[in-house]
Amino acid sequence: MSRFFFLVREALTNLKRNLLVVAGAVLAVFISLSLAFGALVVNEVLRVNTLAWQDGVHVIAFLNDENSAGVPPGAHQTLIDEVETWDEVETVAYFDKNDAWIEYQRIFEGQDDLLDIDPTILPASIRIELIEIEFHNSVQFRLEQQTPVVREVNTAAEEIEQLQNLSSVLNVLGLGMAVVLGMSAVVLIANTIRLAIYARRDEVAVMKLVGASNWFIRVPFLLEGMIEGVLGAALAVFTVWLGSSRLAEATQSFELFRLDVTNQFFFRWGLLFLLFGALAGVIGSLLGLSRYLRDAEGVGADIPAGV
Amino acid sequence: MIRLENVTKVYEGGTVAANNVSLDIQKGEFVFLVGESGSGKSTLIRLMLRDEPVTRGTIWVAGKDITTLPKWKIPYLRRSVGTVFQDYKLLPNKTVTENVAFALEVLGRPASAIKPQVEQVLDLVGLADKGERYPRQLSGGEQQRVSVARSFVNRPPIVLCDEPTGNLDPKTSVGIMKLLDRINRTGTTIVMATHDHAIVDAMKRRVVALEDGSVTRDEQAAGYERRPEE
Repeated sequence: MSRFFFLVREALTNLKRNLLVVAGAVLAVFISLSLAFGALVVNEVLRVNTLAWQDGVHVIAFLNDENSAGVPPGAHQTLIDEVETWDEVETVAYFDKNDAWIEYQRIFEGQDDLLDIDPTILPASIRIELIEIEFHNSVQFRLEQQTPVVREVNTAAEEIEQLQNLSSVLNVLGLGMAVVLGMSAVVLIANTIRLAIYARRDEVAVMKLVGASNWFIRVPFLLEGMIEGVLGAALAVFTVWLGSSRLAEATQSFELFRLDVTNQFFFRWGLLFLLFGALAGVIGSLLGLSRYLRDAEGVGADIPAGV
Repeated sequence: MIRLENVTKVYEGGTVAANNVSLDIQKGEFVFLVGESGSGKSTLIRLMLRDEPVTRGTIWVAGKDITTLPKWKIPYLRRSVGTVFQDYKLLPNKTVTENVAFALEVLGRPASAIKPQVEQVLDLVGLADKGERYPRQLSGGEQQRVSVARSFVNRPPIVLCDEPTGNLDPKTSVGIMKLLDRINRTGTTIVMATHDHAIVDAMKRRVVALEDGSVTRDEQAAGYERRPEE
């Protein structure tokens, strides 16, 4: 335990002694992870908004009136009963002519010229929510076969699909960015640690002289890298969270698109990013250390001249 | 305690730094390695510390063949061998106490055990009142005393010294030699490379002379009386 505290103390002392280099590494991790985390948040915003669209009705089938156009009485209920049995369908809601009129009035509220119509011309409809949005084509096709009861079929699925495609592209882009930027963070930390170990090569030689094992020498540097990674990641998460919540506040009245992301999301992903920062720091340190400790097994690099 | 059997060291480029050297150093001995610059003194010290691999031959330190020692075991060898160098090799950002304690921290000793051991050895080298100073605040002689204290703090059976008085004036050198003599009297084997004939003559101990990597003389000084285990 005392050895562990000694190593932690060594790491903290080293961090204090090389503030400028450490600040550089933290900044590099901060920039890399801010971009990656920012991409993740944008992706989440898109996902949330796509979900909001998906929560609504996916397919609307407008129906011919019963007792007209060859539609027998009870045909609407028969259709509802059948559609409810379809595997692709989650829920079916019936809108009779009265519901249609109420909805029409709500939509065109205040537009008196549009409201001056005969309500009986509005068709009844069924509103269908699908299990998966991908099923919209087959459901539309099956509904169109239900003649004469079905007059027309409308679907919002195409628009949702486009959003989903955009979200997928962003997913791939975000992941790619996270990988590339994460790797650059690792390389930057590796360079920082290499600089740090180079600056302290005499010290490392003395450590070897008194019998310090490679791991004993490595641990303070690993802790240094880990602290740099975690600090950079924490700054990145905090900055993106702050920016995102400020933006959400500023655009609260914006109805079409929601920009707010839940704190739960930030907590979950923030924690993962902190872990990633720590891991990037450790891997970077190991990379930075590996060559030096392999090459400098002995203490003799600066042993006094003389054969 | 230390045995070299037909040890040869040839550096890249063909320089022969040790040529078929055989030596047997007993527990508690104080041995000087003397010779001109380039005679191979420092190389022998480095070979005994496994800082350099031998080209041919075998070296035994404290009963172990260190020429076949795997790399990961080298630190364990160095924990049983104290070292003192001409340039002190102190950590500039640590105080005297921290520098000496460092050798014990490496061993994983608890803080409660480190403190008294460090105090004791600083007292031995006459620096008990300078524990909180940094190396830059000390004279050359005092820095070398810290180095000696660090080499001895964990009571190793062997201390290797490479020109420990090389940077010091004659009076300070005498002080360091007295210190090494005191350590030797505790039964610690000391091997010291030096080209300071005055010191060698004054100490009257075993002298191994080297020339171009070969041993040209190995004799006990007249008047030497071995006093191990005192």
